[in-house]
Parts: sequence; C-alpha cells; structure tokens
Amino acid sequence: MLETVSTPKKGETTWLWLLKIITGALIFIILGIHFVVNHTLGTVEGGLLSYQDVVAYYQNPIIPIMEIAFLIFVVSHSLIGLRSIFLDLNPSPRALSTVNWLFSAVGIVSVVYGIWLVMTIVSRGS
Amino acid sequence: MSTTPNRPSPSNWLKWFDPRQREIGTWAFILNRITALGLTLYLFLHLIILSQLAGGEEAYQGFLDLIRNPIFVFGEWLVIIAGLIHGLNGLRIGLTSFGIAIPYQKQFFYILMAIAVAGGLYFAVRMFAV
Repeated sequence: MLETVSTPKKGETTWLWLLKIITGALIFIILGIHFVVNHTLGTVEGGLLSYQDVVAYYQNPIIPIMEIAFLIFVVSHSLIGLRSIFLDLNPSPRALSTVNWLFSAVGIVSVVYGIWLVMTIVSRGS
Repeated sequence: MSTTPNRPSPSNWLKWFDPRQREIGTWAFILNRITALGLTLYLFLHLIILSQLAGGEEAYQGFLDLIRNPIFVFGEWLVIIAGLIHGLNGLRIGLTSFGIAIPYQKQFFYILMAIAVAGGLYFAVRMFAV
C-alpha cells in the first residue's frame, strides 16, 4: 500500500511534499485560465499576439496579481519537483545542500525578475 | 511491492532502458519525470524570452514573427502534450495522496491518458491544419 500512493521522499520534508501538491492543484486551475485567456483575447487572431494587446490586458489589476501568484506557484512546483528527481539519485548531503541553495537562488531570482517584468508591462499602459 | 525481475540498480544500468515487465505505475512515473523536465525547460525559456516585452513593441514583434516557424509550433505542441500528461496524471497523484480513488487508480490513469491523447490530437489539428 505504501508504494501505491505519493508519499514524502527521504530527504523531502512533509511540508515540501504538501506544497508540491497544493501548488500543483493551483497551477491546474490558473494554467487553464492563463492558457484560454492568452489564446482568445486581443485584437489579433490567436490571442494576445501584439505588444499593445499585452499591455492593455495587464491594465486590469487582477491580471498582474494572478500572473505573479501563478509565477510563484509554478516556479516553486518546478524547483521542488526537480529537487525530488535529484533525490532519486541518492545525493550526498553536501550535494543536496548545494542543490538546496542553488534552487532557492534560482527561485528567488525568477520571482523577482518576473515581478519586475510584470510591473514594467503594467507601467507601459499609463 | 512484489519482486520483479526487472529491478534497475546503478550497477545494472542497462536494465534502466529495458521496457519489459514494467508495471503501468512505472510508466506513469517515467512519463511524469520526462514531462516534468520538459516543462521545466519550457518554463524558464518562457520566462527569459518574455523579457522581449520590456524591449518594447519592435522587440516583441520580432519574437512573435520568429515563433511562427513550424519548428516552434511543433515545440509548442510538445509543451501542450507534456502539460496534459503531467497535469492529468498529477490530478491522480494529488487525489490518491489524500486517499481518494486509490483502489481504481489504474483505470483512472488510463482514462486520464486517453483524455491527454484526445487533447493532443485536438491541438494537432488546431495547430497544424491550414
């Protein structure tokens, strides 16, 4: 029975495991919105395929909030997931510690960069 | 878990590439890992390339013109397939993690993958039919 369901891996705390599942569920919902909206809105056929349409879309305050939340969920999920793949390779504690630092840095840089980019796009509309 | 003849270990690495006698759960695991790596690659490419938006209209239009190339459209189709497989299989993992649908998770997996295949065909028609 233990082998049939997803359980925390050795070296993966329960919190990271839970976070991976929760962010997964949130991504499932927001990715659906992101995908449908980005491919149906705008003045060009096929979605938000012009600079002006993207800037206009981001003027609704809900959009930057949703996109930044989405960014945090998806970056967390992907890095926790990559870490669990790395755990399958039976890393030494030192290698794991390096990966922990590296992935944390990548996650923080990605989110800070993403927030900067979103705010840049928002500011182009005013 | 019962002992299976095909149990890979680092010293017996050739077995890793032997598809025989694997259970459906192993296939689900393999698919989940491969799509995870592909989607992670896409995620970071996506984040990096969207910096073109900060470069203004001309830079972004240049990027949009570039990705009309069928190679990029095919790449996007792979992303959709990976997203469907990973997302739908993830639904099963999330539910079974909380004790839901465990007795029939194999059937559940087959149904979800059938949806992924149907979705893949739908998008193939949408994206490649001229």
